[in-house]
Amino acid sequence: MTELLVGTKKGLMVLRGRRGGPFEILTRAFPGEVVEFATRDQRGGRYFAAVTHGQFGPHLFYADDPTQKWEQAEGPAFPAAAGAAVERIWVVEAGVEDGVLWCGVAPAALFRSGDGGRSWALVEGLWNVPERPKWEGGAGGLCLHSICPWPGDASRLAVGVSSAGVWLTDDAGKSWRRSVAGLVPRYLPEEARKDTHAYCVHNMQRAPRQPNTLYMQFHGGVYRSDDGGESWNDIGSDRGLPSDFGFPLVIDPHDPDSAFVIPLKADADRVTPDGRVRVYETRDRGSTWTARADGLPRSQAYLTVLRQAFCSDGGKPLGLYFGATSGDVFGSADGGRTWASVATHLPPVASMRCA
Amino acid sequence: MPRMILTGSIREHAGGLGTIDVGGETAAAAIARLEASYPALRGWIVDEQGALRRHVRLFMKGEAITLAAPVGPGDELFVVAAISGG
Repeated sequence: MTELLVGTKKGLMVLRGRRGGPFEILTRAFPGEVVEFATRDQRGGRYFAAVTHGQFGPHLFYADDPTQKWEQAEGPAFPAAAGAAVERIWVVEAGVEDGVLWCGVAPAALFRSGDGGRSWALVEGLWNVPERPKWEGGAGGLCLHSICPWPGDASRLAVGVSSAGVWLTDDAGKSWRRSVAGLVPRYLPEEARKDTHAYCVHNMQRAPRQPNTLYMQFHGGVYRSDDGGESWNDIGSDRGLPSDFGFPLVIDPHDPDSAFVIPLKADADRVTPDGRVRVYETRDRGSTWTARADGLPRSQAYLTVLRQAFCSDGGKPLGLYFGATSGDVFGSADGGRTWASVATHLPPVASMRCA
Repeated sequence: MPRMILTGSIREHAGGLGTIDVGGETAAAAIARLEASYPALRGWIVDEQGALRRHVRLFMKGEAITLAAPVGPGDELFVVAAISGG
């Protein structure tokens, strides 16, 4: 059985079912509240849910059994000297060392837990980079949404910030440098690109079996890095994608040459292009992209799939799942070749992760 | 000693209690005392910088008050969440 953690605008839906078929709701947690993101630390099995209460703000919860009581974490919260307050918790990612997890929030900041997610501390090195006063947010706010640990090397980390680019550390977060070489912010006038800080990274993932390889969905374009995020190569232009805009991104954890995106029409029209729902796959590191739509709506389907609402189960063949703000969830049990409905009539889906 | 009156779902973070006697000479101090007694409430009424959450209001004697408002023995301080959302 596969378990899906679906963060929705009206609670966390934990779905359970067989790959390739419809799933059932095992439990619903945080009813009525916005669950921006939910995941499970595969090492110890602990579940995490980032909940934004409409009146009482963002809070992180954890549980060892999602059907039982969830505990509130201590943080993430800024220290007084930072003069900021967490507006939204975007992502929780397992680190390399035992008990270490990372958390990205808005306003763009990184937090670290060394105790399995029970308590969190601000990564001061990134908060205090000199360029920070020049950072600006995108439509979703100034947020740190992508965290890419380096398997086997706890000192190295890459994070993606909208819209302040990619930031790398080689000393476990003490010092950081921006790495945007090769990225072209086509959404800016040419004369404004040279000195801009506005690099609108939408999603970034690292290939676990080849850590030097990262893929990125940019505000305009899809990119790949072959040098651990130091520089970026355009793999989105004229290679089969229907648009250069989108948010979701998944890498095949078994194959660093393979990645999946779900393009949206444009920044001004964030729906699946042409009323058709299509996942695009590359098996050659982005040289070519192929639509995978067998079983997905073929007409009159204008879905919005948000940044964190696409995931894989890491299986062989690869299971893939995504959810839309329409409340539809789709899944594939064969690496994207065929798709089927997993769930319908859910609240708007904000995030999707396999437990 | 002022008394905090919690309304709605926030009570679950105070052990289910709706009425709690607290100390403090201002609304902010009363909330800080409340958080000290019930750590699960930290960050719910005020954020980590001590600012009142945008959709939360404090009322005393039928009037909206600020965090700086003085409170005294016998005062009832209501924490009210806006009825809003989508």
